[in-house]
Amino acid sequence: MELLRQACWLLWKDVRLELRRRESLMSMFFFGALLLFLFQFSFEIRQDRVAEMTPGLLWLAFVFTGMLALTQLFQPERENFCLEALLLTPFDRAALFVSKVIFNLILMLLVELVVFPLFAILFNLQYWGLLPSLFAVTFLGTLGFCVLGTLFSAVTLKARARELLLPLVLFPLLIPVVLATIRCLEIILRSGAWSEAYPWLRLLIAFDVIFMTAGYLIFEWVVEA
Amino acid sequence: MRQLSKAFGSQWALRDVSFDLRAGECVALLGQNGAGKTTLLKLLSALMRPTSGAIELARPAVGYLVPGAHLYEHLTVGENLRLFLALHNNKKTPAEVEKALSRASLTGAQDWLVSALSAGMKCRLLIAKWLLVEPGLLLLDEPYGPLDGAGVDLLESFVSELTRAQTAVIIATHQIPRALALCSRALVLTRGRLVFDGPRDDAAANLDRLGESLLPRGEAWSY
Repeated sequence: MELLRQACWLLWKDVRLELRRRESLMSMFFFGALLLFLFQFSFEIRQDRVAEMTPGLLWLAFVFTGMLALTQLFQPERENFCLEALLLTPFDRAALFVSKVIFNLILMLLVELVVFPLFAILFNLQYWGLLPSLFAVTFLGTLGFCVLGTLFSAVTLKARARELLLPLVLFPLLIPVVLATIRCLEIILRSGAWSEAYPWLRLLIAFDVIFMTAGYLIFEWVVEA
Repeated sequence: MRQLSKAFGSQWALRDVSFDLRAGECVALLGQNGAGKTTLLKLLSALMRPTSGAIELARPAVGYLVPGAHLYEHLTVGENLRLFLALHNNKKTPAEVEKALSRASLTGAQDWLVSALSAGMKCRLLIAKWLLVEPGLLLLDEPYGPLDGAGVDLLESFVSELTRAQTAVIIATHQIPRALALCSRALVLTRGRLVFDGPRDDAAANLDRLGESLLPRGEAWSY
């Protein structure tokens, strides 16, 4: 409970800062929309190839947009030695991890809420009936992206050229979560049947659980190193 | 602390520094630029890990005041205080917070963004923060820098109040006469080594011998 209370305070701080500065969310919205327009100019998706192409393109947009959020995630702590100020308090370091994952998840989900329908409109896709299933899978994929992204954003916190280093380290590790999400989405779009997607779904859930647990356990060491 | 050493690569910032600190004691930490003062404070605050040696704290809550740092610029004064008090699990009432701000001459400033404050006002805000938290050990790193006359008075009354409440205080500064007037004991570091640890009167008598270029030419050690 104490961890949750502390995580709520840290999340409140991040939300206040974002509402005041509007840096991450605005740039994510614009970048996400820009990518969709670029895709629209570059590809023509025929109705018989929707299931094949849509998930990959959508996730390409989500991953690139999410990278913008990740490079800014610990910016408030980098400015003015605020991470030191936090470390001087006796709070559970895992609370910072939990709060950053939730904050990142909120940002990503808000962007996805705009990008998903915009993508459907731009490519004239008719999958409105499958939206709940698509959102459920996308939520699990986004959670995996946020968990791993937050952990490695903290790992590269004190590194020089971290904006370059973070994608180089993160992208290879994201392959399982991106692959599993894309395969799940493809199966749902193709057949609408969850049963076929179970193996990929299990991989996705296992990825989320393993890295959430690992992040929770090692974050103190990561942030104090 | 016992035999504390810290190296950055092959460069030793501190070598075998040992001393004890009693509750309620105020200590001036003196030394030239690069002598290892800030490194020592960071080790004591656990923001840095020693290469060797050990630190034992009777009261683990350590405060570290660095003017111009440790505040979220885009949060208000009140939001900064609420956040840090919550993370310290400190249940001060809004009236107590307002009283601390009032003592720091920041009455009515709760809704001001920290980015809108002057350097001196930020330092006063940090004083108000640690006044509310009441740590077991307080470390001050060049605290006099941005403060005006009234701010210096506030800082010194704040230090006196904390030492009366059994908080040990270490002040690292180049304002040597002020620090010696405030503290009962002095530590002098030279190139990472502790070359003096004793009462302030002995420090004043020996400073010329202990540390070159600690004071500008022509200034006296009087306090």
